[in-house]
Amino acid sequence: MKGNTQEKAVVIALAGSPNVGKSTVFNLLTGLSQHVGNWPGKTVEQKTGVLRRGNLTMNFVDLPGTYSLTANSAEEQIARDYLVEENPDAVVAILNAASLERNLYLVAELIELSPRLIVALNMIDVAQQQGIEIDAKALSVSLNTPVIPIVASKNRGLDELLATIERECTHPVDPGKLQHIEYGTETKKIIDHVDGLLDDSITTPYPRHWTAMKLLEGDTQINKLVMGRVSSEKFAALDSYLKENESATVTIATLRYEWVRKMMGVAQKKRQLSRVSLTENLDRVATHPLLGLFTLLAILCVIFALVYSIGIPAQKFLDLQLVQRGREFVNNSLDIPFWLRSLLANGILSGVGTVLTFIPILVSFFAAWAFMEDVGYMARAAFVTDRFMHMLGLHGKSVLPLCLGFGCNVPAVLGTRIIDSPRSRLLTIIITPLVPCTGRMTVVTLIAAAFFGSQAIFVSIGLVIFSLVMLVITGLIMNRFVISGEKTALLMELPLYHIPNPRIIGLVTWQNTMAFIKRAGTIILVVSLIIWALSITPHGDINTSFLSQIGKFLEPVGRLMGLNWQMMVALLSSFIAKENTIASLGMLLGGQGVGLTQQLKLLLTPAAALAFLVLQVLFIPCIATVTAIYHETKSWRWPALIVAYQLVISFSMAILVFHVGRLF
Amino acid sequence: MDSERTEEYLEAIYKEQSKGLSVSTSLLAKNLGVSAPAVTDMLSHLERRGLVDHKPNKGVSLTDIGLSKALEVIRRHRLWERFLTDVLGMTWDTVHDEACRLEHIASAEVTERLARILGDADTCPHGQPIPDKDGNITQEKTMPLTDFLPSQQVCILAIDVEDANILKEIEKLGLRPKVVVTILNKKADGSLELEAGKKKLQLNSKLAAVLLAEPITSQLQREVQEIPLSKLVTGHSGVLTSYAGEREQLGRCLSLGFTPGSVIEMLENYKGCPVLVKVHDTKVALGRELAEKMIVSGETA
Repeated sequence: MKGNTQEKAVVIALAGSPNVGKSTVFNLLTGLSQHVGNWPGKTVEQKTGVLRRGNLTMNFVDLPGTYSLTANSAEEQIARDYLVEENPDAVVAILNAASLERNLYLVAELIELSPRLIVALNMIDVAQQQGIEIDAKALSVSLNTPVIPIVASKNRGLDELLATIERECTHPVDPGKLQHIEYGTETKKIIDHVDGLLDDSITTPYPRHWTAMKLLEGDTQINKLVMGRVSSEKFAALDSYLKENESATVTIATLRYEWVRKMMGVAQKKRQLSRVSLTENLDRVATHPLLGLFTLLAILCVIFALVYSIGIPAQKFLDLQLVQRGREFVNNSLDIPFWLRSLLANGILSGVGTVLTFIPILVSFFAAWAFMEDVGYMARAAFVTDRFMHMLGLHGKSVLPLCLGFGCNVPAVLGTRIIDSPRSRLLTIIITPLVPCTGRMTVVTLIAAAFFGSQAIFVSIGLVIFSLVMLVITGLIMNRFVISGEKTALLMELPLYHIPNPRIIGLVTWQNTMAFIKRAGTIILVVSLIIWALSITPHGDINTSFLSQIGKFLEPVGRLMGLNWQMMVALLSSFIAKENTIASLGMLLGGQGVGLTQQLKLLLTPAAALAFLVLQVLFIPCIATVTAIYHETKSWRWPALIVAYQLVISFSMAILVFHVGRLF
Repeated sequence: MDSERTEEYLEAIYKEQSKGLSVSTSLLAKNLGVSAPAVTDMLSHLERRGLVDHKPNKGVSLTDIGLSKALEVIRRHRLWERFLTDVLGMTWDTVHDEACRLEHIASAEVTERLARILGDADTCPHGQPIPDKDGNITQEKTMPLTDFLPSQQVCILAIDVEDANILKEIEKLGLRPKVVVTILNKKADGSLELEAGKKKLQLNSKLAAVLLAEPITSQLQREVQEIPLSKLVTGHSGVLTSYAGEREQLGRCLSLGFTPGSVIEMLENYKGCPVLVKVHDTKVALGRELAEKMIVSGETA
């Protein structure tokens, strides 16, 4: 023993481009110890995790996947601000060996910001399959930094990576290690000139030389920062010099790629002519404009079939076993005061309980999604649908959250994070609540069955199509009149297909599910309790409660659609969770199952029933979705707009349907 | 039979002219190693014989008769070079001067027999095309290596130099006509880093300038033009030359590897759809509106 028993903790940032297997590495290193949150002030996921190795505690921070460190996106800004401001003890750059050239571009930027850089060369197996042989030692010498070959998907090389991190972290940081790549005399002169116009007080916390380079690269965030800190005269001089040298943007990037090529020359030992790979063969179908669409459709069908054959029976089972049985038990067996019984049965079990029964459906959706993502198919789906999405001002990637919306709108809203254009993302969020979720479909199926018998299935499908038509119209309107901002063109890497890793899929599914449960336990619980309180005050009878008074207040509106106050209350209760409509009707009409169907038939004409269904599918999003929208847009403006808009279209459409329906 | 001197002049004018350059008196003086007044003198003599046109500001050009005579000389010169290397086994750095002497004494009969014995060779040992007996010459579209961009793969077609020392150096590097090389890097001083076979070579600008090559993809004699990426045909490659779109999008493009000089291979280009390309070993999907703004020098079908 050397007596070096002192506990030490280090912070290690994982950097890398998308599709390099960075999350796989992160998950393998930290497992379930990870904490998922948001980067401060951003709707970009922040993952941190801990690994203990001897006396060393390694705190890993998973930086967002970026191709460069110029602030082209929120992710890139987060990544570089973290490196500059938090000064992690080491940075591990994870590279995809099969596409080393592009990945080294990020390294060219990282070596200028992180004095302690370790390169993890991932997917060397995939590279080898493609006839690429990489000399890690030679690369290490040229980069002047450790290079560790790993295969994260097979858990190979990670031990050596950890050992290297540990070893590097015990040395003091050598500030001279901060390297600059060669920019050639011409460009260097230009960078130095800009550098000379700045001083350290202006550029902190960023290094001055680096700031000069980013200004030349046209980095708007750095430009704003400098503009705010220097006198307007000085900025004018700087700005005009930058304008004169606009071409430096391209030159710097080009020189970086030349540096990369030099490194490649050292590292890549040989390159045989690669065979037509599996990816090429699959993509001949998957990215074809027509066949690709069919592929996507077929995959969605399989996913929905899975969800409906596993998720929905499981949901029904949970509903029966937990919610209904639980309510019975509370109502009949527990000897507790009336209000507490009502709180448990009607407030918590009906509200949060019902929301939680949807977990099986969500889990199957999340798992299917994580699977498709891990295989590498998602980018293809975005690619083939882009031209349609484009017409709506959306992005190809918008199709993914929208599909997820069929399961539940909440993960769909969260899922819009994959869309890198803020404008397309906002637009996607706005139209997401018009995707009929399983909750709404439960209500539609039940009521349609009660009124339309054998035609019920057509009514249900018709309503889905109707919702989607409204979605498209909404998208067109919002795109044209409401949302401002630059449209950004599709620019997206299509990763190689690879064999999915069950562990990663499990972990992602787990994290998404936990996030949903957390939400149900907090905001949904609170709102459920408020609605419950309204239904029981002031006299303990729902028929005289505040809720019914609200319903009665709304009755004149309801009458326009042939609906009475009970229906209006049922509709309002769908704000907690869409399927609550059924539970509320049960409560209000005093019966369940067959009784309810009969009651409904007495209460409503078929035209009114259809109007109610239209109302139900277009009505304001549930509280969980509204809060999700608030979280993702960071403003109440958009949830308010969506609620107001859907209130208007749902009522006007329902009134229209009722009056047209009455003609038959 | 024209005089040796006439033939030398015609040959020299042809060589410069075929490079697309305007041929000036001083250029000829330099190439032939004579004084400028001597050149002027000779040119007016040739003009009188109807072999050249000489316009003071536009330089010298060959007339049709002059051209066919020049091609005859060139044919003989290059056939002799071939003969000296292929039959007599001389090295390619020594044959030029010998051929210079031999080219002037060959009769039509000897020339044709020479061609036959060489199996109607179509290039000289340095890769320059040999005109046929009717004076037709297939001049490949070539550029000096210095004009290509990093990452381009090119096929060396000819070595445009007579200096024996330079030829020796090139020979030592293993660079010959028909050798395929990839340009890895281009330095500020004009020197190049190449990959030939599996070897890496350094080439100074002087050597690079005399190696004439064509991009590997245009071997099927397709026209290389500046076109928007969106017009590039599936399966073809182009070299990105410029980006004509908004500056806001530029950063994203650059960080994904769309830098000038990058080779872009079109994988999928259906009308009205976004395109799928390969750039720096990665597949990238690109909105059509963005592809329209990227200018590549590529082949059109």
